[in-house]
Amino acid sequence: MLEIALRNVRRQRARTGLTLAAIAIGVTSLLLAGGFVEDLLHQLRESTIRSGLGHMQIYRQGQYASGGHRPSDYLIDNPEQVERAVDRLPDVVAHAKRLNFSGLISNGRGERPMIAEGVEPILEARIGSAISMIAGSGLSDRDGFGVIVGEGLAKAMQLKVGDPVNLVVSTREGAMNTLDFSVAGIFRSFSKEYDARAVRVPLKAAQELMVTPAVNAVVVLLGHTDSGDAARTDLAARLPAGYEIKTWPELADFYRGTEALYRRQFAVLQIIILVMVLLGVANSVNMSLHERTAEFGIMRALGRTSRYVFRLAVLETVLLGIIGGALGVALGVILALGISAIGIPMPPPPNSDVGFTGAIRIVPTLLVAAFALGVVASAGAALLPARHLARLPLVEALRRGV
Amino acid sequence: MLLKVEDVGKIYRVGNQEVAALRHVSLNVDERAFLAIAGPSGSGKSTLLNLIGLIDKPSSGRIAIDGTVVSDRTPDELAAMRARSIGFIFQTFNLLPVLSAEENVEYPLLQFSELTSAQRRERVRHYLDVVGLAAHARHRPNQLSGGQRQRVAIARALATHPRLILADEPTANLDHKTGGRILRLMRKLNRTSGTTFVFSTHDPQVLEMADRRVDLEDGEIVRLGVRDGKDWSYAFERRPLADEMQGTLGNRVRAGRVSSA
Repeated sequence: MLEIALRNVRRQRARTGLTLAAIAIGVTSLLLAGGFVEDLLHQLRESTIRSGLGHMQIYRQGQYASGGHRPSDYLIDNPEQVERAVDRLPDVVAHAKRLNFSGLISNGRGERPMIAEGVEPILEARIGSAISMIAGSGLSDRDGFGVIVGEGLAKAMQLKVGDPVNLVVSTREGAMNTLDFSVAGIFRSFSKEYDARAVRVPLKAAQELMVTPAVNAVVVLLGHTDSGDAARTDLAARLPAGYEIKTWPELADFYRGTEALYRRQFAVLQIIILVMVLLGVANSVNMSLHERTAEFGIMRALGRTSRYVFRLAVLETVLLGIIGGALGVALGVILALGISAIGIPMPPPPNSDVGFTGAIRIVPTLLVAAFALGVVASAGAALLPARHLARLPLVEALRRGV
Repeated sequence: MLLKVEDVGKIYRVGNQEVAALRHVSLNVDERAFLAIAGPSGSGKSTLLNLIGLIDKPSSGRIAIDGTVVSDRTPDELAAMRARSIGFIFQTFNLLPVLSAEENVEYPLLQFSELTSAQRRERVRHYLDVVGLAAHARHRPNQLSGGQRQRVAIARALATHPRLILADEPTANLDHKTGGRILRLMRKLNRTSGTTFVFSTHDPQVLEMADRRVDLEDGEIVRLGVRDGKDWSYAFERRPLADEMQGTLGNRVRAGRVSSA
């Protein structure tokens, strides 16, 4: 039967061509829509990771649960140990240490409470940041005692770039310490509350101020987000007890909610597209089989059973589904590459000032799903018309000429 | 006796109405017969042929082919009978358009699992030769003339070596000369292979060739005839009865010679 089905498909150029086109275009549409969604979610994910979260952060055990209120209680005394373990991971792009503390910032005129982070400027730049500079420059390694302050804080204290300030802290031992800094820049983040209290200094200066070589966190950026889970397991095996590893989904509260919202919205749209594709394919298949009523009638008049005719009609359509699905996938991939090369301009995502370029992402599971849907849609579309062909009284089937 | 049609009737629904296409038709056909079912259009010829050919089912009465009563057969069994015992030649040829002439002739043979592909091809070649189309074996129907298509249909009907070949107005879509040729071919096949031919027609040229005839009018048999030289000898003859009188009078047989008009 397969030979006959293939022969029929091959020899009916026009009819086959139309049905193939319907299936292929349907599959291509599913691919492009799905690929666009995948890309948006991918970009959302990456921008979240590269906003300073990194792929994972390593803390002293218990710091995360404490909510970060008393960072000096959860210091990593031996950060080199952690860094060595991280360096052994296969896909690490960068890692940076951070030290968190709080205290007062004062400038002759007044003083304010502050929350502070000591960072390694160059490494932090590679990991990415959720803040943007609105005045001055960022921190640099050369400028050992520069400080960047949040916009709200700068306004409250009337700070300008270049002003001297004084940071006062309470060390781990409980003693007071103070150091002079110079305002290197003013930054803005997405949170006004944060900007009203936050400052950043180079890590070395922070460690000098807090009189400790310890850090609070080691932030790790990987080359590929997909290797995240494996990397975490790997690292957990290499680290001794007393540490905890938090991955970016655990750290980005807003991300999960946003991703869920987007996925739901996209799912609804994709279902609508799917319904339209199904209708298109069903229409084409129905028309095609209906036109051949007499042809299948002749087969039955010559002795083929109704069951045979049903199976042949469905088989031919499934073959079309396979060929059309393959064509749709090929066309979808070509269009995806082309559109991605041109790029789709997109506005800034949440928590960002910068727009990005959308693309169509080609994901293997999506290719397989779109192809499978093409085949299944074709088979499904054939069922009712094929049943009709098989059951129609022979006299009626033959009445229409071939 | 090859074919026995017993008191067969066929009723169609057209919208809300019922139309009786055949009424109380009884007929016996022997082997090797070359029988014409004659009558004007609408007389029920094609309907009767469809019933004999198992393409349709009678509303009443019985049909038996080769001793097998067809009304108790399942659709699959009827399909098998159509494949092996009956060859059908349609008025509109009904060839499969995507297949070549030889593929069309081969098509019914594909169901014969006892034949190898070589044996199939041999039969196809033989019958295409018989109908004189060996040179056109690879042509598609749309590349053949009406007469050539009909000959392909004849070869297809013959290839399965059926007991009975039915032809529904086989010359209706052919010109006079071609029609004559086709008929002479069928007559020759009937005489040489012994295959029984039953065809429906209103073409007098066709009737000239037949050696038995059944005349239908308004769905009833009005005449049964046997060839007598150039004439016909009618076994019985009657006018169709009005509906009210139907069933109260049986068939009346009147012997005697009536010369053909």
